[in-house]
Amino acid sequence: MEQTTPCALTQIVFLAPAVAGLLAWLLGRARRVLAEVLAALGVACALAAAAVMAARVLQGEVLTGWGVELRVDALSALLVVLISGVGAPATLFAIRYMRHRRLTDADGNDVTEARLPGFYGLYLLFLATMLWGCVTNNIIMLYVAVEATTIASGLLVAFYWDRRALEAGYKYLMLLTVGITFALFASVLLYASATPFLSGVNAMLISELREVAALIPRSVAIFVVAFFIVGFGTKAGIAPFHPWLPDAHAEAPSPVSALLSAVMIKMAAYALARTVTIFFPAYSVLTVFVVVLGAFTMLLGGVMALVQDDLKRLLAYSSVSQMGYVIMGLGFGTYLGIYGGLFHLLHHAVSKALLFLSVGAVIYATSARSMSQLGGLGRRMPVTAVCFFIGAFSLSGLPPFSGFMSKLTIFLAGADAGMWAAVGVGIFTSLLTLVAVIRAGQAVFWGTPRSSGLPLESVREVPGSLWVAMGALAAVCLLLGVYPQIAYPLLNGATLSIAGVAGP
Amino acid sequence: MPYNVGLIETLSMVLIITSVAAVESQNLKRAAAAYCLQALLICGLILAFAVGNSALYVWALVALITKAILTPWFILRCIARTGEQEVPGIIGFGPSVVIASVLLIGFYKLTHTHVHVLAPTPEAVAGVFRTNLAVALTVFVLGLYAILSRRDAIKTVIGLCLLENAVHLSLVSLAPDMRETALIGIATEVVVTVYLLLYVIAGIREKVGTTDTYELAELHW
Repeated sequence: MEQTTPCALTQIVFLAPAVAGLLAWLLGRARRVLAEVLAALGVACALAAAAVMAARVLQGEVLTGWGVELRVDALSALLVVLISGVGAPATLFAIRYMRHRRLTDADGNDVTEARLPGFYGLYLLFLATMLWGCVTNNIIMLYVAVEATTIASGLLVAFYWDRRALEAGYKYLMLLTVGITFALFASVLLYASATPFLSGVNAMLISELREVAALIPRSVAIFVVAFFIVGFGTKAGIAPFHPWLPDAHAEAPSPVSALLSAVMIKMAAYALARTVTIFFPAYSVLTVFVVVLGAFTMLLGGVMALVQDDLKRLLAYSSVSQMGYVIMGLGFGTYLGIYGGLFHLLHHAVSKALLFLSVGAVIYATSARSMSQLGGLGRRMPVTAVCFFIGAFSLSGLPPFSGFMSKLTIFLAGADAGMWAAVGVGIFTSLLTLVAVIRAGQAVFWGTPRSSGLPLESVREVPGSLWVAMGALAAVCLLLGVYPQIAYPLLNGATLSIAGVAGP
Repeated sequence: MPYNVGLIETLSMVLIITSVAAVESQNLKRAAAAYCLQALLICGLILAFAVGNSALYVWALVALITKAILTPWFILRCIARTGEQEVPGIIGFGPSVVIASVLLIGFYKLTHTHVHVLAPTPEAVAGVFRTNLAVALTVFVLGLYAILSRRDAIKTVIGLCLLENAVHLSLVSLAPDMRETALIGIATEVVVTVYLLLYVIAGIREKVGTTDTYELAELHW
C-alpha cells in the first residue's frame, strides 16, 4: 500500500511560475528588468519545489494535492525535475539572448522592450502548463494541460512575427490542436469505459484507471490506444505526425526551442506513458506496435536530419529521431526497456537543450544559423564550440556522455526482448546522428566562413550568462555519462510507476 | 427517460446539414453563420438531453457562450480584416459537395449501425444516444475533411471548430456525469485556441497578403 501525503508543493510547483508569468506581463511593462527577475524567480521556485518533492518521493511517499486531483509519484517527480531543471538554464540564457535581437514594428520602430514582458509572461505560463500536466491525476485535465502548453507556446513560436515564424505558428497551433482532439476523444472514451467499474470522480483518476484497463471492451480499448497515440503522439513528434516540429522548433527563439525540444515533447511522451502503457499487460501485441512506431520515427528523423542546412532544423529533426528511442524503450514494456526509455528521455532533454542553446549562442554572435553561411567559429567561440561538441557527442551516443548509457540500456533491453531488428535500426540511426551532428560541428566551428557576409574577426564569444547556462547542461551530460547511478533512484521509481512493470 | 425522440432526431439531422453548409459555403461569413447555427443546435440538443440529466443545463450554457457567441464573433472579426471570399479549395465546389454528401450519408449509416464498436457502455448505444454518437462522429469526419481539403486558413479553423463540436456533442452520450470544471476547461481551451489561430492568420494576411495555406511554403522538409 503506497503512502500518500497531502503536500502544497504539488500546487506551488506550477502555480509559482504561472503567477510569476502574470506579474511579469503586468509589471514588466513598467520596467523590463522586473519581467526578467520574475522569470528567474518563477523558475527558481518551481525548481526548488520539484527538488523537494523528488527528495520526498524517493523516501517512498506519493504526494497529493487538491484531494487526489494532483498526484506526484516518481514518474511525475522525474518530469517536474526535468522541466524545471532544463527551464532554469534556458531562462538564464533567455535573459541576455532576448535583449540582443531587436524587434521592430511595421514602421521600423524598436518594440523590443514593449514585447519582452509578453514573452516572459507566455514563457512562464508555458513552463507552468507543462508542470501542471505532469502532476495532474485527472485524465481530462491531462488533455487540458497538454493543450494548454500548445496555447501558451503558440505565440512564442510565432514571436518574431515574420513570415517564417507566422507559418510555423499557424502549423503548430493547427496540427497540434487537431491531433490533441483525438487525445480528448480517447480520454473521454477511457473515462466512459471506466464508469461501470469506478465510481464518480474515480473514473477520471489516472491512478485508478490503470487498475481497470483490462476490463475495458477490446474494441473500445483499440480506439482509445489509437487515439492516444495520434493525439499525444502528435505532440511528442512521433512520425508520421511530426511535420509541425521542425518548423516550430526552428523558428521559435532559441531558449523556447530548447524548451520545446527538450521538455515539451517529453511531457507528451509522459502523457503517452501514463495512458497507453496501462493497456500493455492486457494487450501485449501493443508493445510490438509501439516498438515499430519508435523505430520508424527514429529512422525517419535521423535521415531527415542528415539533409538539413539550417542548424535548428537539423536539431529539430534529430529530436524526432531521439523521441523514437524513447518510444521504443517504452514499447519494449519490460523493466529494462522502460528504464532505458526514461533514461533516454532524461538524457535527450539535457543534451538537446544544450545543443539548442549552443546554436542560439552561434546565432547571438553571428545572426546566422545555416551551415552554408558559417565556418571557422571554433577559434572565436571556444566555449560554445566545446559545449556544442559535448552535446553532439552525447546525442550520438558516444562515451563518456549520457547518450551512451541511455542508448546502451535501450539496446540491451531490445536484445533481452529478442527484438534484434529494432536494435539494429537503433544502432544505424545512432550512426546517422553522429554523421549529421559532426558534419554540422565541422561546418560551423572549423575551416573558414562559407559566406562572405560573415566577418569572422568581429565575432566574439557570447557573454558569461549564456555560457554558464550551456556549461551547466554540458556538466550534466558528462555527469550522467560517467556516473549514471546518480539518476538511478528516480529512474527506478519512475519505471516502477508505470503499470505492469515488475522490478529488475 | 422521457426524451423527446422526434425533437432530438430532427435537431441532429439539421445539425449534420449545418456541417456541410459550413464546409461547402465559399463565402466565409455564411460558413461562420452555418457554424453559429450548428452551435445553437448543439445547445438545443443538450437541453433536449437535459430532461434526463439536469447537469446538462450548465453544459448548454457553456456551449452557448463559447461556441455560439465567442467563436463566431472571433471568426467574423478575422474575416472583416482578411476578406469574405474563401480561397478555392483543393477540390472544386461540385465534387466537394458530392464528397461531403457521400461522407455524411455513408459515415452516418456506418456509425449508426456499428457504433457499439466504439461505445463503451450499453447505455451509450441505446435509443437517442446512438443517434447522438453517430451524429457526433459524422460531424467529426466532416470537420477533418474540411481541414484536409481546404486551402483557406480561416476555413481550416472552421473545420477545427467542427471537430471540437463533435467531441463536445459526444460527451452527452459518453460522459454525461463529467464535472463542470472539466467541461469548462475543455470549452475554454477551444475558444482560446481558435482566438490564437485567427490572430496568427490575421498576421499572415498582413505579412503574406493572403490566407491561402499553399502560399505558406517557406518552410518545408
